[in-house]
Amino acid sequence: MEQTEIDALMTMGKSSKKSKTASSGAKPASEAPDVNAPAADAKPAPVAPPPAAPAPVPPPAASAAAKPATQKPEQPARLITEIGSVTSVTERETNKVMDKLDMISRLLDRQKDLITGMMGNENAQNPAIQSAIQQIMGASSDIQNQVYEAMDLMQFQDITRQKLERIIHHLRQIHDYILDLLGTGFQTEEQEHHKVSLSRTIAQTGTTPDENKPHADSVVEEFMRAQKKD
Amino acid sequence: MKILVVDDSSTMRRIIINTLSRIGYTNVVEAEHGKAGLEKLAQGGIEMIVTDWNMPEMDGLEFVGVVRSTDTSIPILMVTTNAAKEDIVSALQAGVNNYVVKPFTPETLKEKIESLLG
Repeated sequence: MEQTEIDALMTMGKSSKKSKTASSGAKPASEAPDVNAPAADAKPAPVAPPPAAPAPVPPPAASAAAKPATQKPEQPARLITEIGSVTSVTERETNKVMDKLDMISRLLDRQKDLITGMMGNENAQNPAIQSAIQQIMGASSDIQNQVYEAMDLMQFQDITRQKLERIIHHLRQIHDYILDLLGTGFQTEEQEHHKVSLSRTIAQTGTTPDENKPHADSVVEEFMRAQKKD
Repeated sequence: MKILVVDDSSTMRRIIINTLSRIGYTNVVEAEHGKAGLEKLAQGGIEMIVTDWNMPEMDGLEFVGVVRSTDTSIPILMVTTNAAKEDIVSALQAGVNNYVVKPFTPETLKEKIESLLG
């Protein structure tokens, strides 16, 4: 979901709430959940504030009034479920790729063993053959290193999953806020064990390995120096 | 050297375990969150912990706190996407010995592990 869409939803909700408050004495807008707030056990992440000029949206009071108060809006809940299933599927499929890479790695090990055995054979003592065998061994090592690098690059899956978890968290808050506005009494079904603490810097996390290493190392060093002084 | 790897992502556990194996540490046990990590720890023999932060059930920070309440010497390396300075300091205050921000290279993991064991 784009930030503009979230802003539009929030604008719609706030306007609708004002309308409800005026007509039915509903809760004040200040009690609305903060979509920028992270999970209970995580610190808030910097999220861009809504633009000064709200995006054009359909008349909120009219759209809220069009729905019966007892009808549970299914669309956001389905979206949350779908995003959740994307994370499961990508994790499963990434593991399949890892299985294949593991298999290639094992085959390369087997190949190296065979070539090493061949080097000792008396029929392979010709310098030209020995040189060729050495080149094959070198190529095998290069392939092995590429396989390892490919495995390491799979870290993108975990980072993408955490980014999606953060989006799900925001969607849940918007969903529950809208349900609250409509007075349906429904809430997002979120089992306790699915609650995950969220990284507040995940939105800025890239896929370049060790991008944050100098920063992390300097903080650790600074902390250790301070500890020693104390 | 028996190492416990705690991470809710099976992909990440696999990457860390593969990296450990490449640098010579093959005796590894794994857990998918802090609570499961404590159970593995209770079984004994663990000499080092590599843990994630953001996990269900029990997150890494709480896990480290529980571990440190009974064991002040076991080396703990946190490997997480949390890169904010305040987060790194919180982890160190909780008892983490060193900190790696994801995504990382195997060289970094090796460097941190060797510095903790050295």
